[in-house]
Amino acid sequence: MSITVDDVKKLAKLSRLEFTEEETQQFVKELEATLKQVEAINKVDVSGVDLLESTIDADTQLRPDVVVDSLPVEQIVLNAPDKKDGAFLVPITVAED
Amino acid sequence: MEYTIVVGLEVHSELNTKTKCFCGCKNEFGDKPNTNCCPVCTAMPGALPVLNRDAVEKAILMGLAVGCKINNYSVFERKNYFYPDLSKAYQISQLEYPLCVGGGLEIEVDGKKKFIHLNRIHLEEDAGKLIHDNSGTLVDYNRGGVPLIEIVSEPDMNSAEEAVAYLEKLRSTLLYVGVSDCKMQEGSIRFDVNISVNKPGEPLGTRTELKNLNSFRAVQRAINYESNRQIEVLESGGKVIQETRRWDDEKGKTYTMRTKEDSQDYRYFPDPDLIPLNVSDEYIESIRTRLPKLAPERVAEYIKLGLTEQDANLLTAEKKYSDFFEKVLSYFNEPKFVCNWITAEVFKKLNAFEIDDREILVDAKSLAEMLEMYKNGEINQAGARKIFDIIWEKGGEPKKLVEELGLAQMNDEGALKEIIAKIVADNPKAVAELKAGNQKTMAFFVGQAMKATQGKANPKMVSSIVMELIK
Amino acid sequence: MNYLDLSLTQVKSALDKGEITSQELVKLCFEQIEKTKDLNALNSTYFDLAMARAKEIDAKRAKGEDVGVLGGVPIVIKDNINMLGTKTTCSSKFLENFDSPYNATVTQKLLDAGAIIIGKANMDEFAMGSSNENSAFGAVKNPVDETRVPGGSSGGSAATVAAKQCFASLGTDTGGSIREPSSFCGVVGIKPTYGRVSRYGVVAFASSLDQVGALTRTVEDNATMLNVLAGADKMDMTASHTPVADNTSKLNDGVKGIKIGVAKQFYTEALSPEVRDNLQKALDWYKESGAELVEIDLPSLDTALAVYYVISSAEAASNLARFDGIRYGVRAKDYTDLVDLYFKSRTQGFGKEVKRRIMLGNYVLSSGYYDAFYRKAKRVQKVIRNEFLQAFEKCDVLISPTTASPAFKLGEKANDHVAMYLTDIFTVPINIAGVPALSMPCGKTSEGLPVGMQIIGKHFDEPTIYQVANAFEKAHKGGE
Repeated sequence: MSITVDDVKKLAKLSRLEFTEEETQQFVKELEATLKQVEAINKVDVSGVDLLESTIDADTQLRPDVVVDSLPVEQIVLNAPDKKDGAFLVPITVAED
Repeated sequence: MEYTIVVGLEVHSELNTKTKCFCGCKNEFGDKPNTNCCPVCTAMPGALPVLNRDAVEKAILMGLAVGCKINNYSVFERKNYFYPDLSKAYQISQLEYPLCVGGGLEIEVDGKKKFIHLNRIHLEEDAGKLIHDNSGTLVDYNRGGVPLIEIVSEPDMNSAEEAVAYLEKLRSTLLYVGVSDCKMQEGSIRFDVNISVNKPGEPLGTRTELKNLNSFRAVQRAINYESNRQIEVLESGGKVIQETRRWDDEKGKTYTMRTKEDSQDYRYFPDPDLIPLNVSDEYIESIRTRLPKLAPERVAEYIKLGLTEQDANLLTAEKKYSDFFEKVLSYFNEPKFVCNWITAEVFKKLNAFEIDDREILVDAKSLAEMLEMYKNGEINQAGARKIFDIIWEKGGEPKKLVEELGLAQMNDEGALKEIIAKIVADNPKAVAELKAGNQKTMAFFVGQAMKATQGKANPKMVSSIVMELIK
Repeated sequence: MNYLDLSLTQVKSALDKGEITSQELVKLCFEQIEKTKDLNALNSTYFDLAMARAKEIDAKRAKGEDVGVLGGVPIVIKDNINMLGTKTTCSSKFLENFDSPYNATVTQKLLDAGAIIIGKANMDEFAMGSSNENSAFGAVKNPVDETRVPGGSSGGSAATVAAKQCFASLGTDTGGSIREPSSFCGVVGIKPTYGRVSRYGVVAFASSLDQVGALTRTVEDNATMLNVLAGADKMDMTASHTPVADNTSKLNDGVKGIKIGVAKQFYTEALSPEVRDNLQKALDWYKESGAELVEIDLPSLDTALAVYYVISSAEAASNLARFDGIRYGVRAKDYTDLVDLYFKSRTQGFGKEVKRRIMLGNYVLSSGYYDAFYRKAKRVQKVIRNEFLQAFEKCDVLISPTTASPAFKLGEKANDHVAMYLTDIFTVPINIAGVPALSMPCGKTSEGLPVGMQIIGKHFDEPTIYQVANAFEKAHKGGE
């Protein structure tokens, strides 16, 4: 599995992380080394392995629709780097999704 | 050149549960920012989601109402993307194993019936709200985590009218089933439109997606605009680009939001905090027994009561109209008569409002009382309308109102004769015309009689007395 | 007598007998913390809070009221566990000033049992690491040999117990983060069955693998702690409803007739000779004591590490996306717009190893790679799990070394992440299979470094692990 500088840049963007050119180069090598290790998963025969997992019963094991006290708004915004009138404040944001 | 328009719709409808999808905070619109929040819905480090059973049941109920297959095995997945209204930076949704698949709805446009297939209905959570002001963007997570169902249609619609008919039917069904408030102004129901055009006989064209429309009118205008735009692009030798576009309701245009190249990689994977759901057949059947009577069943019943199919469809267009009709009937069992008043007079009042605000303000019992008096000739149409206006505006008892306002119809033959004899004597010319066979002149006599009785004369009696007197 | 030398069970009894008060005990612990502060085991301490609580509990005890199983005993929790009124930093710059707005379920359970939480333990940032060198607040030193690492990620939790700063601590274990440091520091640590203990309020690293467990000085202490921690939780759907058996019930049942599985895949040439010798001695002792040794085959064991790196990194990338600088934590000062705020805050707030895992996680989840990595890894996970299930048809527990070598030197592997990852080679498969495992000292190297033995049990069968562990401990008092 070979990793390119572009791959690392794309991943950095997905991860919302910034790297210097040097760090990017280093990541190319490190990711390659890790992925080489990870290739071990291909040694195992998984044909016929069903991925469906154990389940929880919807009728008996889910949360009943009963209101629980919310936290006071002061607690919600306690750690906010910036806030206004009980809301979190961020730089002006244009529509995305 | 003729083009075929192909439309598919994704409808997001908030469920009217008491609490959010994954925590016990109140599911309520309009409260102060972040007052219905906890560590879970604000994604504090370490918080975990716990699924609301009622949200699951309501999604299943809707699925059953539109004929979906309910999957015994369903999985919640994480849709990963960064945006301030998404506290965890992923939305819990369903992808590979949704709760409901298949099903559909029948629509009717210009007398033509058509079945619109559904692809799926899945359960997911809503995002928070962003409010922009001069200091920046304020983030409020009260709506964050509210349960939503996403109802995905197949691309079965071929015009804006069909799309709107489908949405009206879907909204009506959601209201019948009682799982959503469907308040477009509050954003509790929102629409994404997929649209493409192609020449008949050719394969489907490249589609664009219009996001987050919030009214039927917007959907209709957006489809018309976007299909014309695509046709123009093709006619001028261009290519339609696969992209997401934003509808600007004020300008009446769509704009590029992002193209396929910079489309997001959502990195869906099963949410390890939520165990896959097992919905047993017994459980599904127990939910099915809670399904209320839906429109088609009511239409059939109303036709048996002697209404036309058209009237029955009008009355059942919304659950609240149909419920109201049945309630009035419980006091005054004259289906046709009651239906006529509702489809004419009640609907006239409702149509003055936006869809969200169409509330029947009159009490069913009062309306029944008034209609009975009208039917029995105790009041005439003018009187009936007057009483209706009053009981709609401020309520009251029709019988008392008729007395107070002196609206009782004048059915006293002797008194009427006296009045009409005078009119006949004063208007020889009109008498001559009537005698000559001009039936229109009768309206003149009735009008004069009404004037003389302050509108209370029984018009039928007036006619017969006039005829008798001029013999 | 130095009360700090006592086990949790012994000191609780001394408290109950009135030999010492909880307030005196708290003071002793803080004196010890001061004396051993060079270890850097704790990120924060709460003397005033602890004293106030100790006073309350002393008063309750004096009145003869029930003070709980841990009534008045000083305990430390890992710094990724929320506790109201304290900071929860995860040893990350990102959360340096994060005030917990709520209690984790395990915190609440400790408090309800009367524990006095005196501080929070240093750790690898967001629990990612095997040496505790990935802490934004500096490395932790191993109390046994201060030139060596205490292991990680719960390095502070192991060091604080080994250094007698407290009587028990909580750690979290995603791929060995309780057992490896327990082994390196010579204490007893358990990674319970996945789902045995609630994760609510514990900052997630890899949700499908994370478990909270206790680190203690004795097996009995550990069983007592798990009794407090275990159980279903309406705040955590992954916390199991399987009834909680009394973990102390079989402590003294001995090992006669117990079938101990020995899988050759755990005894590779990677094992240091001294670890191999100590393990062999332990196995011989079990055999002499009436246990039956059963040969077991776990053919896919060596792929567990690869599975672990795919699954844990994928989940971590998603779990750590919430650290975006909007609601809490670091918000960079010099951003130009919202997107820049995300990039700068996360870049400034996270350390190198955390970034490495996020990048790997997003790689294996990204479109085009998902099937080849994430889905494939989930399938292999099932194969490994099935191999363990089959093994447990033939034996009651499996015994392996916890790590291939004893504690290594500080800085020794800091620049070789692949070598660092390999230290977890025997602990990771346990998380992949979801079974419980305990690490306990089973001897020392010629340099005096503890060697850890890993006892692996069936799903939800921790009592048998404690039974097997306690028999050995009783017979080897004094650490021999």
